[in-house]
Amino acid sequence: MNKRNHLFYLQLALTLMTCAFLLVPVIQSVLAGVTVNYFVGIKSGLTLRWLGEVWRLYSDTIFRSIGLGLACLVVDLIAGIPAAYVMVKTRSRFTRLLEEFLVMPLAIPGLAIALAILISYGWWTDFRSSWLIILVGHVIFTLPFMIRSVIAVMTAINMEELEEGAASLGAGFPKRFVGVVIPNVLSGILAGSLMVFTLSIGEFNLTWMLHTPFTKTLPVGLADSYASMRLEIGSAYTITFFFMIIPLLMAMQWVSRPRTGRAATEDNTEQARMENQSQLSETTAPADAAASQAARRPGTSIRLTRCAKTFPGGTRALESLDLEVAAGETVVILGPSGCGKTTLLRIIAGLESPDEGGGIFFNEDEVTAIPIEKRNVGMVFQSYALFPNMDVADNIAYGLKVRGDEQDKIRARVDEMLAMMQIEELRGRPINQLSGGQKQRVALARAIAVRPRVLLLDEPLTALDAKLRDVLRVEIDLLLRSIGITAVYVTHDQAEAMALGDRIVVMSKGRIAQIGSPRDVYFKPANRFVADFIGTVNCIESKMADRCLTFPGGCIPVDDLEGVDVTEGGMLNIFFRPEHATVVEAGQGHFQAKVLSAFFLGDRTRLLVNGDTPEPLKVEAPGRQAFRKGETVDILLDLEALFTLSEA
Amino acid sequence: MQKKNRFILVALFMPVAVIFMAFFILPMLRLTLASATGPEGLGLYLEMLTTRRYLETLLYTVGLSVAVTVATLIIAGITGVFLQRNDFTGKHLLVAMLTFPLAFPGVVVGFMIILLAGRQGLIGLLTKMATGDKLVLAYSMTGLFLGYLYFSIPRVITTVMATAEKIDLSLEEAARSLGASTWRVVRDVLIPALMPGLISSGAICFATSMGAFGTAFTLATDIDVLPIVIYTEFTLSANIAMASALSITLGLITWGALYLARTAAGGTLAASG
Ligand SMILES: Nc1ncnc2c1ncn2[C@@H]1O[C@H](COP(=O)(O)OP(=O)(O)O)[C@@H](O)[C@H]1O
Ligand SMILES: [Mg+2]
Repeated sequence: MNKRNHLFYLQLALTLMTCAFLLVPVIQSVLAGVTVNYFVGIKSGLTLRWLGEVWRLYSDTIFRSIGLGLACLVVDLIAGIPAAYVMVKTRSRFTRLLEEFLVMPLAIPGLAIALAILISYGWWTDFRSSWLIILVGHVIFTLPFMIRSVIAVMTAINMEELEEGAASLGAGFPKRFVGVVIPNVLSGILAGSLMVFTLSIGEFNLTWMLHTPFTKTLPVGLADSYASMRLEIGSAYTITFFFMIIPLLMAMQWVSRPRTGRAATEDNTEQARMENQSQLSETTAPADAAASQAARRPGTSIRLTRCAKTFPGGTRALESLDLEVAAGETVVILGPSGCGKTTLLRIIAGLESPDEGGGIFFNEDEVTAIPIEKRNVGMVFQSYALFPNMDVADNIAYGLKVRGDEQDKIRARVDEMLAMMQIEELRGRPINQLSGGQKQRVALARAIAVRPRVLLLDEPLTALDAKLRDVLRVEIDLLLRSIGITAVYVTHDQAEAMALGDRIVVMSKGRIAQIGSPRDVYFKPANRFVADFIGTVNCIESKMADRCLTFPGGCIPVDDLEGVDVTEGGMLNIFFRPEHATVVEAGQGHFQAKVLSAFFLGDRTRLLVNGDTPEPLKVEAPGRQAFRKGETVDILLDLEALFTLSEA
Repeated sequence: MQKKNRFILVALFMPVAVIFMAFFILPMLRLTLASATGPEGLGLYLEMLTTRRYLETLLYTVGLSVAVTVATLIIAGITGVFLQRNDFTGKHLLVAMLTFPLAFPGVVVGFMIILLAGRQGLIGLLTKMATGDKLVLAYSMTGLFLGYLYFSIPRVITTVMATAEKIDLSLEEAARSLGASTWRVVRDVLIPALMPGLISSGAICFATSMGAFGTAFTLATDIDVLPIVIYTEFTLSANIAMASALSITLGLITWGALYLARTAAGGTLAASG
């Protein structure tokens, strides 16, 4: 459609015609306002007489309109910004209703609103004859625009998470509102303000009904001048109006134009840099002397008792659970999406309260009723929640500033953190020029800068690509170990959990399915869910016959197995992991199976085979041997690694 | 979450709640009451629907608004997509010109139409030169139509441009790769993709036209539109009950149109009412 064919020119013609329709009368009015005689036209000569006349006759309306616009703006700012904040914070059915109410002045004609105000307050003569009644009308008419403009920005910047970030660093409500919320929604406030002022200046419908001869505004004056049938005065007055709104319109365009210069660093170059760095960090370890100071501090243990969470809508996100995290330990909470991991973490953080009866303890201190900003936790959010209104150093310093530390101390600590995370060169960078990995480091630095009692991380690596994720995982691991902080790490990635956790808490549907060391959960899963979620598992149904576990295609003498306790003729499900079933030479295996497909993984080959079992099995073959489809192989099981499960 | 927070939230919402209660909700209730407590009670609405003058005005206004909406959607839809999709020198200026009248109050729009098509207007001048007869459109239904078109086009163009910007071009490329002609692509891909924007801006356009007062007031046409009748009922005839009933009818129509559009478009309404 971008070719310049006849369609292009047809559309261009229509556009130009539309433009002419809109613009010709504007030009006419400008000409008429500065020519001596409208009927003769421009030949009669140019004059400023009419503009002077307008000034003499109507200057009071201009000033009144500006005053009204400013007053209206002030009221809208004072009432509208907090209201927008509340509406973003409390998303409920009730808020939907409020929103519906708040947009009603947009839907109901100004005339009707004016009539309603007149009928209700017309008897109050002082009010009726003052400009305040017009102000009231303008406020009702413009307030929805202000609120919507601010709400739009608040939603776009993910304000709630920024605020939670600030709270986790210790900022109370006033500090959060003034220091984080307002600066980050300035663009919305600015756009809303321009809109409100422009609308107020040009408002006619309401104003015409509400004005008195002593409270005429600019549009009312315009209507008067048009009615006076003196075209040149009307035109000159209109020119004055144009002059007032042109800067406003230009400012609006400027505010709403898309900002450039986002995410300057490419993640590719970033990756290369990171890889170099991680080699470095393996030798030097990112956390050095500075960090180990923190390690000396006695750690904080976390204890949850009977913590459940039911959301207002009735969603039961968490069943009542108990959990203990020892001082200095790293516990990973692992589970599929939606199982309640984040909810659990937010309860520990103090962003959510557990249902009645639940308790949260840091060491022996009960913190259940203490809000996050007083809990002294460090939190790393999935989307980082870095404050876009501050640069890297200011972000890291924020928690220290909130605590009222001295300048020197803050600077020293920020330097230390930048060095620890190896991001010294990013010190003065704005947040929107950081790559994903860099943001991650800043978020970590910000969280640990305040020396929190516990560090809470919600899927901190999910937003990154696979390679970077591996690099950062190693770094986080080193960091957590070297500062010895108590950490709770939420993830849905089992590899991450295995690598990082001293212990893993596997969750399923709001319950804890198993708690144990990575080895425990892998080798001794408590139930089928855990076995399936962590790694891959095969299942063979077998029957006890002649002291042998028999299954279609083979059997295992029960004497070779430890702790198997089945009566003769009983059924038993045997489980094993792919790496515990290997392909061996013919005649040496426990059973035979046909190859369905083979995936060469480099160091080994993963085979999908079909014994006479109902489901295909996954087994492994080491080395370079190649397999054909349909080939029969012998399979040996590592009997020590077999396990059984209670059905759950 | 915590109780203290709830208290803060309530406190923050207070100013808006008070302003809205005192100067919008209560007055609107009062207005409703005023329309139903005249000597005839609710019979007033029946009278409104059976009196020729009121009914005619109502129908005229609705008809005019529908016509303006359709015309605006066609013109602004085409120009909006055109401006979004094509780059040529002077485009930014053109866009700026097309959106300049956004901030004009109705009275100024009325004046623009007088200058364009009034007794001493440009069209009159040109037609007189061409045919000897002066064509004066401003004070008739055509004048109103032009006026409403004048303030509707810039608003709809901005919405259409914003919607068109977000359209995934690969959809159209996919349609073309499947052999669709330009017209098919427009019909099957482009218009459906624009639909939410068209519905919501169309509804706003309709609602604004229904409630427009300044333009008709300046043009002082011989055809009354609803807002003008409300105004005259209230100020000249002091028939407060009828003025209230008409206002409420008008309010219900516009609010209903916007509400329907919002349900149909499923999204948020562009805030450019
Ligand atoms: N603020 C909330 N209001 C209502 N339901 C919620 C809220 N937050 C989470 N939930 C619900 O609680 C459940 C657990 O969510 P979450 O803890 O976020 O899971 P995860 O982090 O494991 O993916 C989900 O069903 C989710 O929809
Ligand atoms: Mg989550």
